[in-house]
Amino acid sequence: MMRDLIHWLTHTPVNTLVMDYRWTWPTAESLHFCALALMVGTVGTFDLRLLGLGKGIAPATLHYSIRFGVAGFFVSVVTGLMFIFGQPDQYFYNNAFKVKVVCLALLGLNVCAFYALEARQVLKLSPGDDAPLRAKVFAVISLTLLVAIMCAGRMLTFYRP
Amino acid sequence: MIELLTAIEESALSVFIREWPSVFGFPTILFLHTLGLAMVAGVSIAIDLWILRGATAGAPLRLLGLTRTMWLGFGINLLSGLALLLAYPAKALTNSVFYLKMALVLLGVYVAVRINREIAARDGVGPVLAASLDLRRWAVVSLAIWAAATVTGRLLAYTYNVLFAYELS
Repeated sequence: MMRDLIHWLTHTPVNTLVMDYRWTWPTAESLHFCALALMVGTVGTFDLRLLGLGKGIAPATLHYSIRFGVAGFFVSVVTGLMFIFGQPDQYFYNNAFKVKVVCLALLGLNVCAFYALEARQVLKLSPGDDAPLRAKVFAVISLTLLVAIMCAGRMLTFYRP
Repeated sequence: MIELLTAIEESALSVFIREWPSVFGFPTILFLHTLGLAMVAGVSIAIDLWILRGATAGAPLRLLGLTRTMWLGFGINLLSGLALLLAYPAKALTNSVFYLKMALVLLGVYVAVRINREIAARDGVGPVLAASLDLRRWAVVSLAIWAAATVTGRLLAYTYNVLFAYELS
């Protein structure tokens, strides 16, 4: 099953684009890192505000920037998929990649739970207001997962099969 | 030059960083360098976007904590970067992209300091901040610099000429 998938991925035009052109991989990596900085920057800074840093800024003002972070996330996904199409065996049998995917899924769940349970209250806060404890818990989980995703991403090279 | 690079490469610290067979060695230093980038560039990007959004006025010391996070990230980047440089000095110092990256990072820090000073000077002034075209221009420059610094940093892995000093002779 996995071998079939890898075989299929390595025979797609995307694989050719990634592996046969010298600058595709470096360009995709550069975009991946810029998108990462954008995502971690906007989401992470919003989390830091919930934890009490930069308290003079209203959370709603920082929340506006998260749309750029979401754009960064999609760029990361597209470029990340390009890597997988390029060298699928380097990812599917890599424990660091599995950790990264699990952390990404958990981050998604945390975002959903935040918007379902806490966002409305948080976005009403004024400059100087303290965020509720539950929002701080969401922020700690989010920051922890963002750091874990970066760590697992960096460890991919060292856990190659 | 070759002698100096060789001496650095053969120093105990350089060999230790490069060859310690543990995930807490070289891989962790690389991770810390990425974390530092995310803290410096990430927070800077968020502040730039906040400025471009209008940077609505609020309580004094509005950025306190965020700027500290940036400086902490810069410290992590500096130390981890030095460790990476010690591990492979010839690889970095013979690559012109490395110098371009350094210049961009220094420029990015200068612009971030300038933006923070401007915001601090306007603290409590109110709507004036929202109208500052100058500050917005700096924010755009800052975004461009961090993007370029990130790209050049990534390209270091693909543009080096030699890995070790002996390859130069």
